[in-house]
Amino acid sequence: MIEIAGLSKIFGVGASAFTALENINVTIRENEFFTLLGPSGCGKTTLLRSIAGFVNPSSGSLTVNGEDMLSKPPYARPVNTVFQNYALFPHMTVAENIGFGLEMLGRPKSEIKSVVADMLDLVQMAPMADRMTSQISGGQQQRVALARALAPKPKVLLLDEPLSALDFKLRKEMQIELKRLQSETGITFVFVTHDQEEALTMSDRIAVMKSGRILQIGGPKDIYDHPAERFVADFIGDTNFVSADLVTEANGIAQVRLPSGKTVEARSPAGGAQSGSVTIAVRPEHAVLSEPGALIDGRLKNIVYFGTDTHYHIESDGQPTFVVRRQNQPDAVEHHQVGDTVGISFNSGTAQVLRD
Amino acid sequence: MARPRSFDVRQQTGFTFVAICCFVLLYLPIILLVVYSFNAGTSIAIWEGFSWQWYEAAWNNEKVQEATILSLIIASSASLVATSVAVMAALATTRTGKFKGSGLVFAMINQPLMIPEIVTAVALLLMFAMIKVSTGYTGIWYLIIAHSAFCIPFAYMPIRARLQGMDLNLEQAAADLYGQPWQVFRRVTLPQLWPGILSGAMLSFVVSLDDVVITEFVKSAGQDTLPTYMLGQLRRAITPEVNAISTALLAISIAMVVAFYLLSKSKEK
Repeated sequence: MIEIAGLSKIFGVGASAFTALENINVTIRENEFFTLLGPSGCGKTTLLRSIAGFVNPSSGSLTVNGEDMLSKPPYARPVNTVFQNYALFPHMTVAENIGFGLEMLGRPKSEIKSVVADMLDLVQMAPMADRMTSQISGGQQQRVALARALAPKPKVLLLDEPLSALDFKLRKEMQIELKRLQSETGITFVFVTHDQEEALTMSDRIAVMKSGRILQIGGPKDIYDHPAERFVADFIGDTNFVSADLVTEANGIAQVRLPSGKTVEARSPAGGAQSGSVTIAVRPEHAVLSEPGALIDGRLKNIVYFGTDTHYHIESDGQPTFVVRRQNQPDAVEHHQVGDTVGISFNSGTAQVLRD
Repeated sequence: MARPRSFDVRQQTGFTFVAICCFVLLYLPIILLVVYSFNAGTSIAIWEGFSWQWYEAAWNNEKVQEATILSLIIASSASLVATSVAVMAALATTRTGKFKGSGLVFAMINQPLMIPEIVTAVALLLMFAMIKVSTGYTGIWYLIIAHSAFCIPFAYMPIRARLQGMDLNLEQAAADLYGQPWQVFRRVTLPQLWPGILSGAMLSFVVSLDDVVITEFVKSAGQDTLPTYMLGQLRRAITPEVNAISTALLAISIAMVVAFYLLSKSKEK
């Protein structure tokens, strides 16, 4: 279990000071696949490097299983890192790379040999054991980096965008592979990525970061269906933003009045939105086209066919273009035409009130 | 990638001519030197047929033997000392956070490249004279210390370049995998640094082997390295023996440079 409380990191001093992390509070549970998600420069890598020990936070506390980490150098922390560029030792073989951590710990040769053999099997690299790291492909280097970090059986494995250098297909494979390794080894994974899809498919929980702060922590479904802030809703998946007025708000449920005058039930964020005029978020696949006179009426501007689904772009007064996504069925007949006046409906409770 | 054709320096009038002149100036004297080292006569200017006699003469000359041995001892010791110091200096200037005055430290390490050699020579002469007066020691160590000092920047440059080119993540990865600082250095930094260290050591060896000015000022009576022995010979009757020794030195230098080139190529992978 990693407990981080009040963690801040300020680089530089005076006018050029830059706050990379601002009052980070998070508890990462045992055996959890925890993802730090955010755009570049949001502080996710700084937070990861603080856990590894390569960054000294300016204030706050960081413990692993109750043990203080900030007073320890990187080599005394029970965490291992998979680096973004893998950082494999070019003068050692695959097997020597994997055994390096155990060797530094002073484990007996026989133990190192058997653990390395297990790790090679785990990442399916046994035939490559005696190759130099420059003689294997990017995906294989990735596996070796993973095996090297797992071999000393750390309490926590830190992964710094380890899949970003791989091509699309390999990345998909490795996503599944990583998830399998995590459940097989039972090690806590802290995974850094800017790829929202990667975060959604792999994580138990996700922390969305922006400008050195954690905006929201939750499970993938939670984050996707109920983003608390506009940034989260915008960063993860596609979202329609609709301005509305808050009528009532209680126990996480809000009634909002849309510009059409109709009132609909929406989820309100933790802590409440607490203001009269709010923005609500509706996912394109949570909305359906209907007859005019629905929650929102507008003119159909565009129909875009994507193969698996079709996107309808609807313009209405004073609102940004609203997108409705409909999954395509075989031999379905298109009833709508560009220029039609249509209505947009969504179920009560699917819209999310955002904290701006 | 092809160079843009719009500007080609060869189109400038006289470029090829100037270039050829430069190469002739650089290499013609050396070619003449090598050719006349095989002269059968005693002149360094009149060709009287081919012979190995001056190589034999130089080989059998006791003074040349002594000077060669002294030169080799000094060059290897200076190279060893300078390279060790340079490794530490390079680590200190590339593996620490940016500190105030790091530019000044860099300039100070490279001092021998910037101060005229003759100034260093006179300064060393004066300082060693004081030590000689108070201790009475007149041995080889003055030369080794002096050579080590001016060889440091030559060893420092390639080592520093190698350290700067190294992926810092490798050392972090080693530290992350429980490597304590000295283990990280021994197992990760040093193995990768070897090409830089060898280049630095060879460069300082060649620079030391070649030095005249500082050696001439610092050496005690009766001590001679190959270059100062040759300088001494020039004051008397010059024979092609000097050519022969020069050619031998040239061969050693070329061998070193080729080795240096091959090493720097292998580090690029």
